[in-house]
Amino acid sequence: MRRRELLVGGVGLAGAAACGGKSNKTRIAVIPKGTTHEFWKSVHAGAIKASRELDVEILWKGPLKEDDLKEQIGIVESFVSQGVSGIVLAPLNDKALVQPVKGAKNAKIPTVIFDSSLQGEEHVSYVATDNVAAGRLGGERLAKTLGAKGSVILLRYLEGSASTAQREQGFLEAMKANADLKVVSDNQYGGATTESASTAAETLLVAQGADKGQVAGVFCPNESTTFGMLLALEKLGLAGKVKLVGFDASDKLVAGLKDGKIDGLVLQNPLNMGYLAVKTMVQHLKKESIDKLIDTGARVADKENMDSAELKELLKPDLTPYLGQ
Amino acid sequence: MSAPQGLEARARSFLAQPWVGPLVALVSVYVLFAVLTPETFLRGIALETMARHTVVVALCAVGMTLVIVQGGIDLSVGSVVALVTVVTASAARAGHGPLVAALAGMAAGALCGALNGALVATLKITPFIVTLGTMSGLRGLAKGLADEQKIDADARGLDGLMMSDEASVLPVPPGVFIALAAAVAGAVLLAFSRFGRHVVATGSSPATARLSGISIPRVTFLTYALAGLMAGVAGVMEFSTLTVGDPTDSLGLELEVIAAVVIGGGSLFGGQGSVAGSLLGAMLMTVIATGATHLGIANWIQEILTGAIIVVAVTVDRWRHVA
Repeated sequence: MRRRELLVGGVGLAGAAACGGKSNKTRIAVIPKGTTHEFWKSVHAGAIKASRELDVEILWKGPLKEDDLKEQIGIVESFVSQGVSGIVLAPLNDKALVQPVKGAKNAKIPTVIFDSSLQGEEHVSYVATDNVAAGRLGGERLAKTLGAKGSVILLRYLEGSASTAQREQGFLEAMKANADLKVVSDNQYGGATTESASTAAETLLVAQGADKGQVAGVFCPNESTTFGMLLALEKLGLAGKVKLVGFDASDKLVAGLKDGKIDGLVLQNPLNMGYLAVKTMVQHLKKESIDKLIDTGARVADKENMDSAELKELLKPDLTPYLGQ
Repeated sequence: MSAPQGLEARARSFLAQPWVGPLVALVSVYVLFAVLTPETFLRGIALETMARHTVVVALCAVGMTLVIVQGGIDLSVGSVVALVTVVTASAARAGHGPLVAALAGMAAGALCGALNGALVATLKITPFIVTLGTMSGLRGLAKGLADEQKIDADARGLDGLMMSDEASVLPVPPGVFIALAAAVAGAVLLAFSRFGRHVVATGSSPATARLSGISIPRVTFLTYALAGLMAGVAGVMEFSTLTVGDPTDSLGLELEVIAAVVIGGGSLFGGQGSVAGSLLGAMLMTVIATGATHLGIANWIQEILTGAIIVVAVTVDRWRHVA
């Protein structure tokens, strides 16, 4: 299923603006930040779910590397030149994508922004987790686990990524509310890949004397930093000893939660996000009124609640009806 | 007036060793950070971590040293490492044991290297362009093989290669020893074997080498294939670190590896370079990155520092050669 849609996307790009004769369906381009993270698979599934319900065609295409800004700008521009009906975009940068989105608007193609915010007023709606609130949720969870005292580390994700910067901000706000919690490091970034995150995490843990018990807890704002941190804690023999609250879910992170190596995972609802983003676009195209801001919600999963039906759906959503295999 | 002739000559020949410069740089930077952050930087665990973080770059640098001394360059090394993590993870996921998975990964690396070598040897296009092409092509292949996702696989014990076992008597994980062994093998090959002399001769002056009866295509092919094999071993280590196959991994690794070789005294014009120097260059970059984190320096300053040190190290090295 997914392969076929990729193919459709590719053919669409090649065929450029000449397309449109074959299918009369509304064509909506959905552009994630990347395609390797588990998170985007769920977004993709949600987008497909909406496309089936609403009988529209979606074109899924994103840069493979999560921080390839130039490629993402190029993707937006090529969809504009193809003349799609609408663009649903998770911008890699809150400023750099303003111009391409404005270009789409000038070509009478509306854009719904999802996951990560965009400056300006060129887009019609913003569908996302309230990231500051979600970060605060993670911070509060870590504070509760640690009994509101001790030294904590924040490993940031990537310079210029708005959604994670807001989570980091929310986390730091939650830390400030507790006088006995001390953030000993908050200026180190994990970078784009799991490998870079795990190297940064390990160096940071050793630098702060985590192995001597000088670090009580850590917080990571997305999947790759959380997984990198988990690998680093495992390598240093600190998994479970240093409390880890992370973000998003994948097979290995869920296993970590079960083994007690991860204390909590802040979960967004990516399937719902992909679904609502496409749905909002369709509503806009049908000239129905839509909200400027749509919050898709966040929850914290831990060892106790992870088997409940509601969280199971967030931790390990069944994507096979949408993505196949 | 001056020291006795014999002593001065010996001192000069010692200083002329290509790895002396990088060694001095490494020791000074290490001492600098140790003085600035004595309570964390000097601990065994910091050393162990640094050793582990150097493994992948070091392994690739062994191969890259051969390639650069031969007068070439290999820009595809990062893509090869990513492809190897994907192949190794796929093999592990398909139910193969650790040995088969690792061998499959290494074979994939060697094949990529052989492809580079065959193209450079036959097409008469500069290696920069050939490997620029394979850098993109092999990255695409990695993404395609992985179905554009990370491959989640049971590491089947391969993760032990890069993980310190508390019960083990070894101070560092096996991966570090594998990298050291590969470096020794590479150094011996380059300095003492007939093939090594042919590599140096080809890099110094291809025309002279040809006149002395060296088959340049053969030397070229073998050099790149060996570099590919080294990248294959590095890829297995990368998989061992990550425990997943990641087709987006190691983007920009080639620049780190080239920097290590150049800091270590390698000349991009060919004919010069040593495995020991490259290894020291790789360690120097890890020490800088680690030290900056221990000092709590922001990432952007770390990047500026690394860039500055590369330029300074190479400038000092050239100046030492002229003097």
